[in-house]
Amino acid sequence: MVERKKIEIPEGKKVKVSVGEEDFPFEISPMFEGERIRKGDMFVELAGPKTMGFELVISLPPDQVEDMKATLIGIDLDEMEEGGRYPFAMIYYIAGEKIDPDIEPVVERRNHEFQNYIEGYMHINSRDTIWIRIGKNAVKKGLKSLLQIAKATMMLYKNEMPFIEKIEAVYITDKELVEKLLNELARPIYEERDARVEQLHDEDVDEFYSCTLCQSFAPTNVCIISPDRPSLCGAITWFDGRAAAKVDPEGPNRPVPKGECIDPIAGEYTGVNEFAKQESGGSVERVKLHSFFDHPHTSCGCFEVIGFYMPEVDGIGFVHRGYPHPAPNGLPFSTMAGQTGGGKQVVGFLGIGMAYFRSKKFLQADGGWYRVVWMPKELKEKVLKYIPEEMRDKIATEEDAKTIDELKEFLKRVDHPVVKGVVRPVDGKKITDGWVEEKEKEVIEERVEEAPAEEAPAIAFPTQIPQVSTAPTVRLIIKNAKIYIDKVVVRKVEEMKR
Amino acid sequence: MVVIAVTGKGGTGKTAVAALLVKFISEITSNVLAVDADPDSNLPDALGVEVDKTLGDVRELFQVTRESLGTVDKESWLEGKIFEVIHEFDNFDLLVMGRPEGEGCYCFVNNLLRGILKKFMRHYDYVIVDCEAGLEHFSRKTIESADYIIVVTDTSRKGLKTAKKIRELAKELNLKFKEIFLVGNKIVGDEAKEIIKDFAKKENFVLLDLLPYDEKVVELDLKGEPIINLPEDSEFAKKVRFIAEVLTRWGS
Repeated sequence: MVERKKIEIPEGKKVKVSVGEEDFPFEISPMFEGERIRKGDMFVELAGPKTMGFELVISLPPDQVEDMKATLIGIDLDEMEEGGRYPFAMIYYIAGEKIDPDIEPVVERRNHEFQNYIEGYMHINSRDTIWIRIGKNAVKKGLKSLLQIAKATMMLYKNEMPFIEKIEAVYITDKELVEKLLNELARPIYEERDARVEQLHDEDVDEFYSCTLCQSFAPTNVCIISPDRPSLCGAITWFDGRAAAKVDPEGPNRPVPKGECIDPIAGEYTGVNEFAKQESGGSVERVKLHSFFDHPHTSCGCFEVIGFYMPEVDGIGFVHRGYPHPAPNGLPFSTMAGQTGGGKQVVGFLGIGMAYFRSKKFLQADGGWYRVVWMPKELKEKVLKYIPEEMRDKIATEEDAKTIDELKEFLKRVDHPVVKGVVRPVDGKKITDGWVEEKEKEVIEERVEEAPAEEAPAIAFPTQIPQVSTAPTVRLIIKNAKIYIDKVVVRKVEEMKR
Repeated sequence: MVVIAVTGKGGTGKTAVAALLVKFISEITSNVLAVDADPDSNLPDALGVEVDKTLGDVRELFQVTRESLGTVDKESWLEGKIFEVIHEFDNFDLLVMGRPEGEGCYCFVNNLLRGILKKFMRHYDYVIVDCEAGLEHFSRKTIESADYIIVVTDTSRKGLKTAKKIRELAKELNLKFKEIFLVGNKIVGDEAKEIIKDFAKKENFVLLDLLPYDEKVVELDLKGEPIINLPEDSEFAKKVRFIAEVLTRWGS
């Protein structure tokens, strides 16, 4: 972890300090949010796409933070040229009982909002992409120093986030120092934060977030976004969900309390089930976040990738939106998406977001990567680094197999786990029996019976394929099924018997 | 903020009217945003300015970048990018909506855009939108509503039919506009005047003005030269200036 400490002010730099509260010559109100200061109305531009800058919040022990102190290193507003552009950094030291490095990004994010409350001051973006403009009108009204901006911002912080007991600001316009701190302090901390995201898992949080943006065309779709499962469209992560829920708790992204964990492997939670039931109007009762076969997540229609089960090889294939050709099951993305979308739970098909391939819990109930048998080359290359090394050569692409038969041969040749049975890594349980021997038997049987000439394109049969009983009546029970039948041949039961 | 949407069938001269409105209104206040919301027309050309980036580009960039953004706030990222594609000129800003969506899901990004544009547009005194007859950005609510809708038409049957459709659509979309106006263009002779007047009465439009057929407008259009170079003493320019004045009176 990057050490949290105050920055060192190099000797010979121009430094200006102000402590305590003061009156401001500008108004502070949420009504100024989103205000764009036009080029013609601009006094100066700080940071932004054409120069550099950053904002950073650092947590420190209380004895190191001098409350409401503002320091400026480098030239101030009254020394700047009208229409000029200058590098700019804003560093805030914060302290308080509840304050630790985890809270830093949450506090940092609010800088944007608070600074935009300031009349004649425009703040855009975050981190090292910030972009600030100060309007001529603000200067005319009496804004003289960036320390006034620092004070106003600190005041807002303390009012709006009372858990901040002490806050101190250091603003920098000195180019050399901005550049040095950007590379040596700010960027390493941003990277550290992003790395922490990868380490955050479902069990580390109390709440997931929902997304019902797609309900306009998939009325029963409820996306549940957890740290290990981003949205199907690929756009929304758990962090985005949290941010959106905070801004608008009644909006499309709402908090979903996890409740009790019923199944840690498949990812089933009482809170999620209740929420899904309520939001889908009762049509979805249970959702298992990391399962393909058992109460899978609903599929909206705008998912980036669709997974499909191929019973002939007892494995799962994936195809992305951009792949125009049929997958080995004979169906292109569009057809499968059409059958699956609309907010239904369709066993045998599952829409997912590209980022889910990254998840440590990727379909872990069904063996994860060890159950994956096929994906287009383009997709496989994109996600290659997330595939366990020993599986990388065992997942076929269109170059290896275009049909089920070719796929079978390929899988046997590379000794894919599905051939002899998949052991899921999460708990070492053997979840499939494999098919290499059975398959040979089947072939013989088929020959003895009359070979069905009308073999329909292989379709993922959901759950269990209905059993034909030996009784003279036929009983078909199909649940949650989507079946595509090319041709149906009905024969007398006697004839079927050997 | 007053939002003025200029629409009509392509070829009726709506972009010429929109561009001149931008010119004249931005002479009254420089706090003007021009929005090119018609991928088939070219408001920047009509205004005589060059534009290289569009909102559509940002949207596409977001779609391919979103996964690598880590914990960066996507809304603020997007807002920053939008601010970068707003083109700033002396008297007005210009936002080009750009190309239509590609494949994939745009729910999330559009939802963010709606919020950002709403927050951002309200700081302008006037927002002038050149939009196609389908009023797409209004139906998607990327632009929330229009205060005044100006439908430009010539006397052609297609132009009038489109005008009628827009009238119906504006009602269906429940745009809370204050008024929907008709502007007749390329009007030569009394018969043409009567056609437009009758049409306005029948379809319940407020007829704002009748613009003449102007050789110079056609010539500028043919050469791809900015329409705002139209001599200010021409009848066409004078009439649009009058419309701009009327609108700003009503607007304030």
